[in-house]
Amino acid sequence: MLELRSVTAGYDRRAPAVRDVTLTVSSGESVGLLGPSGCGKSTLARVAALLHRPDSGEVVLDGTPVRHWRHRAPRELRTAVGVVFQQPRLSADPRLRLADLIAEPLRATGRRASAEDRVAELADTVGLTPDLLTRRPHEVSDGQLQRACVARALVLRPRWLICDEMTAMLDASTTAALVAVVEAYRTSTGAGLLAVAHDHTLLTRWCDRTVHWKTVTEPR
Amino acid sequence: MTERAPVLSVRGLSVRFLLPGGRRIAAVTDAHFDVAPGECLVLIGESGCGKSVLASALLGLLPANAQTAGHAHLGDLELLTADERVLARTVRGRRIGLIPQSPAAHLTPVRTIRSQLAETVARLTGVRGRTALRAAAEQAAERAEFPPGHLDRYPHELSGGLAQRAATALALIGDAPLLLADEPTTGLDRDLVDRTVDELRRHVDADRALLMITHDLAAAERVADRVAVMYAGRIVELAAASDFFGASGPRHPYSQGLLQALPDRSFTPIPGMPPELGDLPEGCAFAARCDRATDACTALPPFTGSIACHHPAPAPTPENIRA
Amino acid sequence: MSADTTVVEKTVWRAHGTARRSTHTLRLYVSAGLVAVTALAVLLLPPLVQLDQQAVDLAAKLLPPSWSHPFGTDDVGRDLLLRCVYGLRVSLLVGVVAALTATVIGTAVGATAGALGGWADRTVMRLVDTFSSVPHLLLGIFIVAMFRPGVWPVVISVGLTHWLSTARIVRAEVLSLRSRPFIDAAVSGGASRWRVVVRHLLPGVLPQAGLAAVLMVPHAMWHESALSFLGLGLPTHTASLGTLIQGARGSLLAGQWWPTLFPGLFLIIPTLAIAGLAGVWRERINPRRRSELSL
Repeated sequence: MLELRSVTAGYDRRAPAVRDVTLTVSSGESVGLLGPSGCGKSTLARVAALLHRPDSGEVVLDGTPVRHWRHRAPRELRTAVGVVFQQPRLSADPRLRLADLIAEPLRATGRRASAEDRVAELADTVGLTPDLLTRRPHEVSDGQLQRACVARALVLRPRWLICDEMTAMLDASTTAALVAVVEAYRTSTGAGLLAVAHDHTLLTRWCDRTVHWKTVTEPR
Repeated sequence: MTERAPVLSVRGLSVRFLLPGGRRIAAVTDAHFDVAPGECLVLIGESGCGKSVLASALLGLLPANAQTAGHAHLGDLELLTADERVLARTVRGRRIGLIPQSPAAHLTPVRTIRSQLAETVARLTGVRGRTALRAAAEQAAERAEFPPGHLDRYPHELSGGLAQRAATALALIGDAPLLLADEPTTGLDRDLVDRTVDELRRHVDADRALLMITHDLAAAERVADRVAVMYAGRIVELAAASDFFGASGPRHPYSQGLLQALPDRSFTPIPGMPPELGDLPEGCAFAARCDRATDACTALPPFTGSIACHHPAPAPTPENIRA
Repeated sequence: MSADTTVVEKTVWRAHGTARRSTHTLRLYVSAGLVAVTALAVLLLPPLVQLDQQAVDLAAKLLPPSWSHPFGTDDVGRDLLLRCVYGLRVSLLVGVVAALTATVIGTAVGATAGALGGWADRTVMRLVDTFSSVPHLLLGIFIVAMFRPGVWPVVISVGLTHWLSTARIVRAEVLSLRSRPFIDAAVSGGASRWRVVVRHLLPGVLPQAGLAAVLMVPHAMWHESALSFLGLGLPTHTASLGTLIQGARGSLLAGQWWPTLFPGLFLIIPTLAIAGLAGVWRERINPRRRSELSL
């Protein structure tokens, strides 16, 4: 279970972007979180991915309460959650070739040896050709780069996926393709998903359960 | 019906980029289309298909390594050969109003909306004098329904929707006959997308036309009179929006695939990925992903004025238009 | 029908913005050429031309430029062309080593402050501000004054006083990179703090730091000249551009212009060439230019 209990978080303690949010995602479940832009749902996504320390509240990941965040979070906990962000241009290191981009988490966690096979396998899954893997981010389109970012999020086989407006910049076909990749991964591994977006049609089609931002922030 | 002269007439427009090492990127190839007064034409395509390059070519904002061919007439002016002075003084703002992709980045961060509107009014119209400019700025804001109470705010103090309205107000000041909106709804919520495109639509009137570039099919459906679908740098289908989104549906296999990929339709992607613009196949660029491809597809399908495909779905007949 | 003919018709391509491109390349070629000539002269001339730059010939003192002495001679009859080449050699060496020292210190300090953030960042940057409030020539003079005159005190003095701006540039760049989602993605992918700095942040700031280093070279050369001109830099018998100009003060008042002019030109021309090259570099790493290739 991925549990967010009364989480309050933000960049300014006087005006937190997220106020008292409670949300639970069961293993294998896909939950869509629907909210208007600027409502703080991206901040919540970063909290759920252990990338941002909440001002108050608790995050419990598979029964383990999270005590530390970002670099200080234990590596097994951090890597149990894969994240995909809205803007592929900003979420890819501009100097890394796509193959290195996807392999980076494997190298960072000392699994360099398995990198080559795993990258080839994932590239096939997300539909990237070997030629594209040798290019740098500025040489590919947004859609192609987001495919690589999804592959990077899956490379460590996370038990949880956080997709923060993953498809907002993409055309209809790439959106459908990447949602299919995420769903295929979940079916084969039983991973849970928190998909954050503003598109109601997309979330209801994609997820088991869609909750509106208003309903998770209201005091119980 | 008497046809009025089109606001914008594009004939055989091609743009290519020369890269170091002799590589050539065919970003736009042989585009033909007209935009009539009072019409909204939406150019649909996925990112990297060349649609933004087409917009840059029309505005004369191509980088130094670009080359163009063909024609793009804005009234009697040839946009592709016009020199920078002409474009800057008489075209941008005055004859083409640009509605940018990210309004927040388009507005000057250190100045209030009022002062930016007033400056543009002073530059583009004959209005002079403090009070007159002030009034004109307020009028400009009103046209785009920008709330007067927010005029003294800075861009970062505005919500996405209001920033978009401020950018639209700026684009409308010059009374340009053509509005060019390049992905005006990227990153906005559905509600805001609807509101933004409805507002854009409102400004299309007897004399003004809108050319909108987007990858958002729902937004296109909402405002378009006609739809042009771009694939691998070419326009592959040009159709009336009522047919394209209506009962008869699109005719090109790519357009059909795009529509079917929508989450409220079958939500299945088109297999594969578009070809590289630097390495296009000889024949139909879509053949590799097309389930109807035949031997004929190794030859380039000519653009008939409505479609470029060897095996399109039948054209809508009068019966199914009515249906 | 018309579509068929357009395929057959030869496409006529028109170029765009060629004027800007040509001035751009012209600047690149001129600057690169001058830097190359300077480097060759400094590296190859002394070993190839086996002449003694220290050879004193009192009979030929203060000769104006001629075929046998293209730059003339100085007040003890030494050939000025030879002295200038040797002087440039020393000045460049001081400039390059000092600039590298300053860049390494600045990058380390700036990257540490930016990567750590919080109180560490505030402390370091206040320290940088404090240092910056002291005029750096004064600080440099203070440092050289603690040593005997020589090349190394000058290098240390310039290096220790010039890392501040680099530290600021690098810190700002690290701060802007640090808030990008790709750093979040790296953290989420299990990267340690060290790995994020070494693999993602430092390579991102190197172009900026490198540019700062290149621009620092002429600046450091001028500082060497200033210190030597004040008599605090290199010992007067070592030819550097600064000592040459300093030694020529007397003759300038007597109307002999060449001992001042030529070392001066040797200082100004490489400065302009390096600045020109750095300008081209700056445009290269500018994201606006990089976006030219994106579609």
